[in-house]
Amino acid sequence: MNTPQSSPPPRRSPEQLSGDPAVSDSLDFAGHEFARASLDHCVKCTICETVCPVSAVTPLFSGPKFVGPQAERFRNGESVDHSLDYCSSCGACTLACPQGVQIAELNSQARAVMKADHMPVRDRLISQTTLMGTMMTPVAPLANAVLANKPIRTVVEKVFGVHRDAPMPPAQTQTIQGWLKKRGPRKTPATRGPIVFFHGCAGGYFEVETSKRSIEVLEHLGYEVLVPKQGCCGLAQQSNGLFDQATDAVLKLCDDLRAAGELTIVSSSGSCTGMLKHEAHEIMGVDDERLKDVATRIRDMMEFLLEVADAGELPELSPIEMTVPYHAPCQLKSQGMGMPALDVLRLIPGLTVVESGATCCGIAGTYGLKKEKYEIAQAVGKPLFEMVRDTNPDLALCDTETCRWQIRKGSGVPTEHPVFLIHQALGLS
Amino acid sequence: MIGAGVAGLTAALRLARAGLNVTLLTKGVGGLQLSQGTVDVLGYSPTDPATRVANPLAAVAELAVADPKHPYAVIGVDAVRTGLAFLHEELGEQLLVGDPETNQLFPTAVGAIRPTCLAQPSMLAGICMDGARFAIVGLRRLKDFHAELIAGNLARTPLPDGGHVSARHLTIDVPARPREVDSSGLTYARAFDDPEFRARFAAELRPELRPEETVGLPAVLGLKDPTAWSHLADLLDHPVFEIPLPPPSVPGMRLNNALMAAARAAGVRVINGSFVDTPVHSGGRLVSVNVETAGAPRTITGDVFVLATGGFESGALTLDSYGEVTERVLGLPLAGLDAAPLLHGDYWGGEQPLFRVGVAVDPSMRVTSPDGSAVPDNLWAAGGILAGAVRWTEKSGEGIAVGSAVKAADAIVEELA
Repeated sequence: MNTPQSSPPPRRSPEQLSGDPAVSDSLDFAGHEFARASLDHCVKCTICETVCPVSAVTPLFSGPKFVGPQAERFRNGESVDHSLDYCSSCGACTLACPQGVQIAELNSQARAVMKADHMPVRDRLISQTTLMGTMMTPVAPLANAVLANKPIRTVVEKVFGVHRDAPMPPAQTQTIQGWLKKRGPRKTPATRGPIVFFHGCAGGYFEVETSKRSIEVLEHLGYEVLVPKQGCCGLAQQSNGLFDQATDAVLKLCDDLRAAGELTIVSSSGSCTGMLKHEAHEIMGVDDERLKDVATRIRDMMEFLLEVADAGELPELSPIEMTVPYHAPCQLKSQGMGMPALDVLRLIPGLTVVESGATCCGIAGTYGLKKEKYEIAQAVGKPLFEMVRDTNPDLALCDTETCRWQIRKGSGVPTEHPVFLIHQALGLS
Repeated sequence: MIGAGVAGLTAALRLARAGLNVTLLTKGVGGLQLSQGTVDVLGYSPTDPATRVANPLAAVAELAVADPKHPYAVIGVDAVRTGLAFLHEELGEQLLVGDPETNQLFPTAVGAIRPTCLAQPSMLAGICMDGARFAIVGLRRLKDFHAELIAGNLARTPLPDGGHVSARHLTIDVPARPREVDSSGLTYARAFDDPEFRARFAAELRPELRPEETVGLPAVLGLKDPTAWSHLADLLDHPVFEIPLPPPSVPGMRLNNALMAAARAAGVRVINGSFVDTPVHSGGRLVSVNVETAGAPRTITGDVFVLATGGFESGALTLDSYGEVTERVLGLPLAGLDAAPLLHGDYWGGEQPLFRVGVAVDPSMRVTSPDGSAVPDNLWAAGGILAGAVRWTEKSGEGIAVGSAVKAADAIVEELA
């Protein structure tokens, strides 16, 4: 319903296309097809402008309405407004739009076209999330020491443009696959059949504890948890405009996940789940049955637990006497499912959950790592960091990995996935 | 609850306060944010559009008798009073003041005067009374607020009692943030949240003011800090008032943010981001609707449903090129289609009957069928979707919304008890 309709936009001429080997199918899509379909639904109400976390803190970004539906009218394979690069792709504008204009998607596509012929080396490197994990895990103590070393980080900033103070993932000595191999057989019987767990790169290499606890909660509920060998979803490449690499990655991942069978897929990696559910299709135009199949079957961990709770099948939760801040990440909210973590956490007796009210923590994937955007990302996150510190200096909750790194670094408050408290309330920790 | 405008938020909050489990489904931010941040009950007589209403509640009672098809006829003046009291209590005196028995006249962004009964405290000094002396202050870097136009129109407009206000204009230049020449009202509102900015602003403006002047400014005096405007008045040592701007409307955002925060805190489960569709019926009742959550739709079930989606302006009602009017979410039968023609071609002419088309309800706000076709019996409606009013010419939008929202909520609480 309400699928935006408009006449097909002008295509680039065959000469233009053939003369440009960098123009691939997905970039062509980005430049021409989907981008304009929802544009004419814009009634200029400015609601998107009021929710943009970036234009709130810097005049360098002129706001989603100007850069999105307005500038798009003047683009025809050309870039007319370079402030577009300051869009963090948090998606708050699309989520807020009552008319169905896909503002953030328009901007991501236009940025990919803009960067196509001069992609910074830095952006190619920082989107290699699996590579980072495989290189850092075997040398975790060394990797952590290097990342904490100021002179080294200063050189990295100068050479690659990754800000010296930007939050970096904590390297772990064990991957989730390593843990799965070494742990003994499960302690409770599987009474509810099999389910697939998707941990994502960060959940495989860095936020391993979140993946462990998610698997243990699912097993406690009676599921047999299958964890197929799995690659990267390509989200970081997508958000940096590397659409071809991202498309290859996401389809490869779909094959990995489908290999486990026609089962429900659960993930505690909130933004990677969003990539599979809608971003690969809506931003890059990936139109593939494998992706559709996975998108239909995948559930965010807390979304899944809420479905279990709504069906009256969540076991009794022990009280946790605590007040805890919860931040729903932008890429989780953009999935249009509300804030399931908030609703599930409220079922824990004694627990008071305070929703942050913040649109975005600032990091927006790899945005806040970049030297020219670091200050903006910190300014975006500042009210959230203060709210977190004021609410509970010992624990904050947030569903996605890079946002947790940003909140930990920015606020100094230990920040974990909401499943930690469910794990505890089920008596598992 | 389908819809997050003033009707949806008010009804959701009232139901949650009564202890019910409420899920609020919305596609984006509701229309309250786009409003002027006041509560209009009845500004102009629907039967005599040239006449300003002095006592809105008394006029609502008269209208309920004079026009049985108007929403106020089924809502009734008591529910309007209850609804306004509820909203007033939820928002508090820092956001809403006034008397539903008295309309006051406030300046608009084009210098017209507009009747409303509940306004924000930051607007009160702008009430147009004989002998008032206004200095209308424009900001050089803020479009959409033309001080000269506003002052000129206010000064030449006779008040209902024959009196006049005097108004002059001036423009000052205090950047909201460095290196920005074109700032939105929201950017200024964020700057005014900062006491240091207020001090800088006051230092620039104060020497320009003349004794006994009341200062009219664009409604950008703080988004989060409800004392920003009064602090500025203290610094200037002059009374200050805000004039609402076209969107982004800061006063509208204040009300919307406060009501949404209250609803969330009261336990309302908010699912934002998708259009609602695919109603499933069984045994004369509405069982579920779908939300187009990313990846795959999710089914939302409920014991009762409330439709608070607004009218044509939100897209809840659509008119196609064949002249067919559709209620888009549930496909309900509509009242008011019997007027012919629905649209006349005279753009500047009289009222267009199309705008009275909407959903029909009984006095408990339960949806009824105007043409004998089936409607679910566990469905209520509130706000702009109701048939029979032209809210923007009558200035009746918020009164209809909160009156019907509270009446529907109370009827549902009774039904489920």
